[in-house]
Amino acid sequence: MSECGSCSACPSSSQLDRMGLDVGKYDYVVALAGNPNTGKSSVFNALTGLRQHTGNWPGKTVTRAQGGYKFNGHRYKLVDLPGTYSLLSAAQDEEIARNFILFGRPDCTVVVTDATCLERNLNLALQVLEISSRVVVCVNLMDEAKRKGIQIDARALGRDLGVPIVLTSARTGDGLDALLVAIEQVVTGKVELHPHRVLRDGPFQRAVAELVPMVEEVAPGLPNARWVAMRLLDGDHRVRQALLSGELTEIASAQKVYEEKIPMTIAQGGRE
Amino acid sequence: MLSWLRRIKETRRRVLVEDALKYLHKCDWEGTASTTASVGEALGVSPSKAQLLWQQLQAQGLVEISGDHLHITPLGESLALQVIRAHRLWEKYLVDEARVPLADVHAMADRREHNRNPEAMSVLDASMGYPATDPHGDPIPTAEGVLSQTDSVPLTHWAIDRPARIVHLEDEPVAIFAQIVAAGVYLGQRIKVIESTPKRIVFTDHQETYVLAPIVAGNVFLVASEPMGREAPLPRLTTLELGASAKVQGLDGTLQGYTRRRLLDLGLTKGAQITAEYRSFLGDPVAYRVRGSLIALRQDQAQHVLISTNENQEQNHV
Amino acid sequence: MSEPTNPVDALLDRAQDLRQTLGGNFRDELVEAIYTDAQAIADRASVKSDSGRLDFDQRIDRLLTAPMLGLPLMLLMLGGVFWLTIAGANVPSQMLMSGLFWVEGAGSRLFEHLGAPWWLTGFVWHGVYRALAWVIAVMLPPMAIFFPMFTMLEDLGYLPRVAFNLDRLFSKAGAHGKQVLTMSMGFGCNAAGVIACRTIDSPRERLIAILTNNFVPCNGRWPTLILLATVFIAAAFPPEVASVAAAGSVAMVAVIGVLFTLVLSAILSRTVLKGTPSAFTLELPPYRRPSVVRILYTSLIDRTMFVLWRAIVFSAPAGGLIWLLANITISGHSLAFYLTDWLDPLGHAIGLDGVIVLAFFIAIPANEIVVPTILMLYLGNTMMTEELSSSSSWRSLFVGEHDWTLLTAVNLMLFSLLHNPCSTTIYTMWKETGSAKWTAFGALMPLAVGLVVTFTIAQVWYLFT
Repeated sequence: MSECGSCSACPSSSQLDRMGLDVGKYDYVVALAGNPNTGKSSVFNALTGLRQHTGNWPGKTVTRAQGGYKFNGHRYKLVDLPGTYSLLSAAQDEEIARNFILFGRPDCTVVVTDATCLERNLNLALQVLEISSRVVVCVNLMDEAKRKGIQIDARALGRDLGVPIVLTSARTGDGLDALLVAIEQVVTGKVELHPHRVLRDGPFQRAVAELVPMVEEVAPGLPNARWVAMRLLDGDHRVRQALLSGELTEIASAQKVYEEKIPMTIAQGGRE
Repeated sequence: MLSWLRRIKETRRRVLVEDALKYLHKCDWEGTASTTASVGEALGVSPSKAQLLWQQLQAQGLVEISGDHLHITPLGESLALQVIRAHRLWEKYLVDEARVPLADVHAMADRREHNRNPEAMSVLDASMGYPATDPHGDPIPTAEGVLSQTDSVPLTHWAIDRPARIVHLEDEPVAIFAQIVAAGVYLGQRIKVIESTPKRIVFTDHQETYVLAPIVAGNVFLVASEPMGREAPLPRLTTLELGASAKVQGLDGTLQGYTRRRLLDLGLTKGAQITAEYRSFLGDPVAYRVRGSLIALRQDQAQHVLISTNENQEQNHV
Repeated sequence: MSEPTNPVDALLDRAQDLRQTLGGNFRDELVEAIYTDAQAIADRASVKSDSGRLDFDQRIDRLLTAPMLGLPLMLLMLGGVFWLTIAGANVPSQMLMSGLFWVEGAGSRLFEHLGAPWWLTGFVWHGVYRALAWVIAVMLPPMAIFFPMFTMLEDLGYLPRVAFNLDRLFSKAGAHGKQVLTMSMGFGCNAAGVIACRTIDSPRERLIAILTNNFVPCNGRWPTLILLATVFIAAAFPPEVASVAAAGSVAMVAVIGVLFTLVLSAILSRTVLKGTPSAFTLELPPYRRPSVVRILYTSLIDRTMFVLWRAIVFSAPAGGLIWLLANITISGHSLAFYLTDWLDPLGHAIGLDGVIVLAFFIAIPANEIVVPTILMLYLGNTMMTEELSSSSSWRSLFVGEHDWTLLTAVNLMLFSLLHNPCSTTIYTMWKETGSAKWTAFGALMPLAVGLVVTFTIAQVWYLFT
């Protein structure tokens, strides 16, 4: 049995330097989102060298955990969000996850999904793609999938979702090097992203379409105006407040800066 | 100690004022006349105390008194609406999110409505997605104090065979309301009256048939609705045998709030394939496979999931 | 309404208007739209080779939920874990105990030899050290066996199946099925169990789970239960089945704890925390092969060491305190004597004695030190060495010198199951509920239950003896 505690099994051990809890200075923030029980914490532990407990029952991570790692000369702060099925409800854990993806402005959000149950997991992935385009979808538990005779076509999935797809088995360490590379490519803007957006015709979507220009007027350049419009229709207090306080406008301008200055941030190094 | 006593006294006085305004608003809304005597009686205060109350209300500019008739002023009206808003939002919250039985929420909301601040109320409002009506179908006033009005007709006066939607269930008197709830009638339900006699009212939602006494039916209010497409009742998930599969057709209207959102999030949306896998050895819950994962549902939740088995799917195609 | 002046207000007003026109069900449509896409994408991206036979998980689950087999299998699993813990911990515990108590003797002789004053020797070796030695000897071996086994069941994915199987009982009690999971955590540590209640999403049921978590015996209380089971219950059986009988009686206490959890949950959800049970949507995850390294790491470092360290931190000062109580004398009697004398009537009324009641007071910071406190108060300043390492010597101390009866043993087991939570758990309750009222309730309610139960049993016992 190869365990990720042993260094031989570690991916890219030459470039990966686990920093554990020591995340004083970092270049990029990476958020880990996912359904409960998808091995999200295993991915987190494998990358940071921490050993957050991962029991096999849903809803173990109830708070946000942080850790760090260094890869190819860059320092990353990794934030493990609570496992959620969705980002639409106002439940406490979903709100933590949602708020961090939106307001915490991670440089990349990794959605950890369960290969054995892709359909249910894509529900969350599609919702994250509505909020942010800087997403990597990590299809985890590939070892379980293999055991059950499930095969995943990463290219087809990548075509449909429009973001990098990485197949991993975090417990054994398989695929984690590819994940590190994919994250790097997203945070440094080396990969083109065309996130999938859910479109349907109906009164709801027409109402969304009507609101989108108004959102864009308030916060020009906001990457997820459509999502903000949807949340306003659904009655999301936090989003409403963020609009009133100007927080969303701020995010929009930060996004512009990011798009213009990608090569600069790479050169700059630490930002805190 | 003294300040504490004073605070209690002040709170009590405020509660009385707010109750009085609420009652006056109700009379206004229903178009009934309100006299000093009738209001005093409704509030259960002695005539001498009532006299003091009127003086106070008048001094604060909340009511106008002409003779023994009371009229609520615009200022009093807006305060009353704030109280009503708090009351109905709390009712909505207690039923949908805290899952308190519908029959108990009125009394609980009565206690909470006096202890409110506008900010907390708007957070509550937003967290539930700005509901338009409370669990009884009464409109919830907006933060600006706008109360929308719908013209509804009691079930007793509804024509046979005319498609209708239930928009309001009167929560007073409590005993009648309890009977409405016990019958399984719910807000937003689309029905058709089959039989209407002075003895009983029979109606159906194409799932089940309901029989109510006129005194009960009189507290159920309807508006016209477009006719329902499907005439055959859909089976419920509880009827699915172990090992069998079906397609989810939707969640019924009685399931609201948190539970509904959670079931949707787990993938119990229209069109999802669902298989009953196995039952707990105590008989409940049952584990269902849906969208690739195994989810345990208690039977009282599964009965809100409408399904179509393969046979009646075929019927639909024909 | 005034005409909105800025674009934000215009946007919010328009959103509000549109919301009114949409009606209530657009959330359904939205989720449905997302899932339709998810389904299409997943269908294109994943291929499942049809194996034709039931897969492994399904076969196991069929077995574990089978009407005739499910329950015995579950009880067997629980009993097996307890039996392995008791039987396996016995020998290392005795070895640790004699070793550590030998050190106590040697250390105190060394102090005497160096000419240290008697009170220093007593305070350090017979107070602080003795409490530490006891806690380590009694707690470390069972924990090092119990926690890895528990963690393995957890990693395997068995715990949600227990929740699934027992849910009916909890739903009847108006509680959430996940309370089984938080309860299981409570078997390890009640404070951890209270934190785990966060995974229960309905506020009402979460509060019920928090308030009743203390009814399952935590790791700090196992040693007391195991010791009493070994000394009093196992002794009544022939040696071949003694450990099974001891494990059985400990398992029985655990079952009684679960029963109290259910009964109190039912009472709470019908009185102060009224409401209908909320959505129970428990996902049953696929079984996963547990990874040995992680299990050992988690259970030994995260859990065993964590709990042991906490016990050590609390037991050292408690040991010192007990020694002081036993050795500071006023007009010929120790402080402990006055206190136990004063508590004796209460102790007698609930079938215990003043020393035991005092021990429960001293053990508020950590339940682990109940037995060492009793022991130190009984023994005073005398040495306890090898002669206390066999269960017959325990018997002669308790029964011979301090008049314990079967009633004392039974009520002590019950009272250590049913009493106030330790200070860490109380603090955790306060942090999790944010309410002083509920915290006080959660602290005092189990105590009240314990007093009522032990009092009733004691009075009935006195009536017949």
